[in-house]
Amino acid sequence: MADPARFEDDVTPLLPQLYSAALRLTRNPADAEDLVQETLLRAFRGYGGFKAGTNLRAWLYRILTNTFINRYRQQARQPAEVELGELEDMYLYRRLGQEAGAARSAEEEALERFVDEDIKAAVEALPENFRIPVLLADVEGFSYKEIARIMGVPIGTVMSRLHRGRKGLQKALWEITERRGTGSPA
Amino acid sequence: MSHNCHKAQALAYRYLDGEIVWFRRVRVRWHLRRCPPCEQGYHFEGWLLRRVHDGCREEIPTVVYERLRAVLRELPLEPGLRG
Repeated sequence: MADPARFEDDVTPLLPQLYSAALRLTRNPADAEDLVQETLLRAFRGYGGFKAGTNLRAWLYRILTNTFINRYRQQARQPAEVELGELEDMYLYRRLGQEAGAARSAEEEALERFVDEDIKAAVEALPENFRIPVLLADVEGFSYKEIARIMGVPIGTVMSRLHRGRKGLQKALWEITERRGTGSPA
Repeated sequence: MSHNCHKAQALAYRYLDGEIVWFRRVRVRWHLRRCPPCEQGYHFEGWLLRRVHDGCREEIPTVVYERLRAVLRELPLEPGLRG
């Protein structure tokens, strides 16, 4: 059992990461701060039941994710599950390659011209059921097993949603490239 | 594109995430050595994953950080939440 007196010391170092994740989930700073506050409240209430020495970060992300799903989805009236269409593997690589013709490193040069705002916009454009696993894996660095625990879904569901979410993200990046009309993102 | 290319590309994320059993990892590695287009595709996917990781990090504003630290300090003092 974790010692509630240690809660502040244990959780303070994780505040920047929790806020960053909350911002990508809620897509606005005020809601992100609210979400982290609510997460802290719920975590403090449950801290006595947290097993000291196990993965505190994953436990907090689980609370953060559940709080987001329960509170903010209702507010936004977003549907729980949205499907992405079927996309081929290496979607963006193929498209940038077709644009670039024979130049071998042209795909990576094109990728370099994406600015952080493009990447954030592409992640935020993903439906929630795909955005959450993409954030947990690609930004927060959790393993498939940890994501399955955080989201409360089987590991196969994590793999499938992550795979499709990443392809959806690539499609969103490709659409940004196309809107600019040059094959060059920036 | 061969059957092995399709298989290698379908396994790209699990390989890059380090979430693949060893014998599949070895088979993928052998394929990538023989197949420059797939090897290039894997390289691109790995780079894109790192780009997403680096591009999504958000600095917490100092004022927000301080407000959240205050929340942490106050929580144990709430009568309804104590012990």
